[in-house]
Amino acid sequence: MNMPRLKVLRDVLAVITNESRLLRRSRSAILISLVVIPLFFTSSLGAGRGRAGEDYSTTAKLPIAFIDQDMTAASGNLYEVLAMSKDFNMLIQGYTEEEVIATLGKGGIFAAIIVPKGFQKNLLAGNTAYITVYYDDGSLGMLDVVTSNIQKNIVNFNPTSKVIQTFQPSGFARIQILQKGTKFSGFSVGLTVTMVMVIVFATFYEIAGSISRERESGTYARLLVTPISLGAVMVGKTLYDTGLNIIRSFIVLGLAIYVYGARLNTDLATVLISTLLIAILTMGFGFLVASLGVGVRAVVIIEFFLVLFLFAFSGFIIDKELMRGITQAISTILPWAYGIEVFKRTILIGQPLTSLTYQLQIIGLSITAFYAIAYLMLRSSRERLIR
Amino acid sequence: MRETTISTRDLTKIFGNFAAVDGVNLDIPEGELFGLLGPNGAGKTTLVRMLCTLLEPTRGTATIAGYDLRKEAAEVRRQIGVVSDGVSLYRDLTVEENLRLLGTLYDLPKNRMEQRIDELLGMFNFRDKAKRLVSTLSTGWAKRMMIVAALIHDPKILFLDEVTSGLDPQSAVALRRFTRDLCDSGVTVIWTTHYMQEPEMICDRVGIIFEGRLIQIGAPSELRQSVSEQTALEIETPNLPAEVVRKISSLEDVCKVTYDPPILRVTCTSEGAGKIEENVTRILIGSGARLRAINTKRPTLEEAFIFLTGGEEEIERFIEKGRGKG
Repeated sequence: MNMPRLKVLRDVLAVITNESRLLRRSRSAILISLVVIPLFFTSSLGAGRGRAGEDYSTTAKLPIAFIDQDMTAASGNLYEVLAMSKDFNMLIQGYTEEEVIATLGKGGIFAAIIVPKGFQKNLLAGNTAYITVYYDDGSLGMLDVVTSNIQKNIVNFNPTSKVIQTFQPSGFARIQILQKGTKFSGFSVGLTVTMVMVIVFATFYEIAGSISRERESGTYARLLVTPISLGAVMVGKTLYDTGLNIIRSFIVLGLAIYVYGARLNTDLATVLISTLLIAILTMGFGFLVASLGVGVRAVVIIEFFLVLFLFAFSGFIIDKELMRGITQAISTILPWAYGIEVFKRTILIGQPLTSLTYQLQIIGLSITAFYAIAYLMLRSSRERLIR
Repeated sequence: MRETTISTRDLTKIFGNFAAVDGVNLDIPEGELFGLLGPNGAGKTTLVRMLCTLLEPTRGTATIAGYDLRKEAAEVRRQIGVVSDGVSLYRDLTVEENLRLLGTLYDLPKNRMEQRIDELLGMFNFRDKAKRLVSTLSTGWAKRMMIVAALIHDPKILFLDEVTSGLDPQSAVALRRFTRDLCDSGVTVIWTTHYMQEPEMICDRVGIIFEGRLIQIGAPSELRQSVSEQTALEIETPNLPAEVVRKISSLEDVCKVTYDPPILRVTCTSEGAGKIEENVTRILIGSGARLRAINTKRPTLEEAFIFLTGGEEEIERFIEKGRGKG
């Protein structure tokens, strides 16, 4: 009666033993799945959020312009209230409205608070007074955090010592915030996320996975005994995968545009270039991973890790300017974050590629570095790449 | 005199602190079928992998078809064909597609490539399988396909690493015959195997590799001669008196005599092998013994191998050491 149950238990134990044995044989898998992923995400979460209960503001260290066009006691008081708060430690004065509009999106400042002429007059007359907030369209989440932090601090705009009470109570004037920028729909953001994820996920596996598979099946060794050069192998695989990525991008875009009615704010050539930049960057990284001589199993784990990384640190969910500590540091050195920024700014906002020279330089340098290191490592690791 | 196609001096490969191949000196002339014999893990595959540029030697030099192994690796690759378990074909491509890919990589002009593919498909009876995926071929045909692929660029040197393992006897015989013909046409073949009888059948010379060292090189017959003790005679003779056995034991060059009725076994030195049969039968007939059958046994290459590698105990020790693949 107990025999079948014991047999099942023995089988289960055998499977567990076998799996542990397989994991033990793959040191990279152990290192990544048991050590790197848990340690990294736990520590970055702690660093990102700060200590429990710590008063932390995401806009505290952001350069934000304050343009006082009213030049009255009320507007001066508003500046003081905001500047004294812990939310706006880097309020910069001296910009004009035109300069701000021209600067936003280039990384110098990330938002601008404009107090227009007639601000105090409206407040005193009991009318609604307006302030305008310009924000960087390409920084996802910027609008919400800047606006909510202004609203939070306007409460301290003291009507007795100064001029006016804000919002409430009734009978007093209100301050209304006008937002100027593009608020993207979840779908538009989702489109960029989907596209980047599709590219990264597929491209990395196509390069690193294909070399690992070739290594395991012995076809890579076959190539190594022919006169083909390593450069030709890398360029061949890159061009092939570039072609695949063009098709892949048009499928995602076609679905988004013709099925879901998405609208692009740029031309197809720009979309294609942005897409291919991310693809080639990922291919370079794929070659780099492949040069370590890892197996297909390890490639899958690294791929999962890479995608997690991108979700967490590349500005999909929170813009890197709104991160802090180690999360921001990682986001700053993660070349995909710049690729994604190019993607967002071109596709969502319609910024021309030529205005994103800094990001393009970082991506170009990263691609060159990945390919160069991968080339040298693949050359010196021929022995690792044969069965 | 034939030109030397492969020449190595002190060729060594060290992994960590383990010498997989240790100071190999080798000269192989053009058109020779050279057998590299050794147990698994002896260093055969490592040596072949160095010679076909897959592994970088730790020490030593080698020239392949006149090209320096280290400095002119790309040229070396143009001169060699490799058939090895670790060097495979694309299983998801057809026979023809694999050959075209390799033809292109070896820079064959299109016309020459098509002609060569047709020639090889015909030579190896592959015409009806040209459009089949390699993954659908049987083990024998897949092995044959590996050889076809290795010959696409008409190499001067062919490395056949454990090429008959897993093959049915008919395919193995056909392959050996083909390889012999190939050598007769001027191609140099390095045939590595751990099947002792194979080199004896086809190789011009055999090198015995053990624990990374090339311990003996010679024609199979020369290697057999190097065995100092050999079982020369097995005679079926019932009721043999003990004094006859003693008399045979006292013969010059006889090493050992055992009588396990009705089989008398006489082992002698290689020097005495020529006259032993005559001397023993004279004693037996003189003593009135009835002889039912006489077998003269020459030492096999396997016995030579065991002798040269220090005997069975040494091989057991080697196996127990569990060295990696060679």
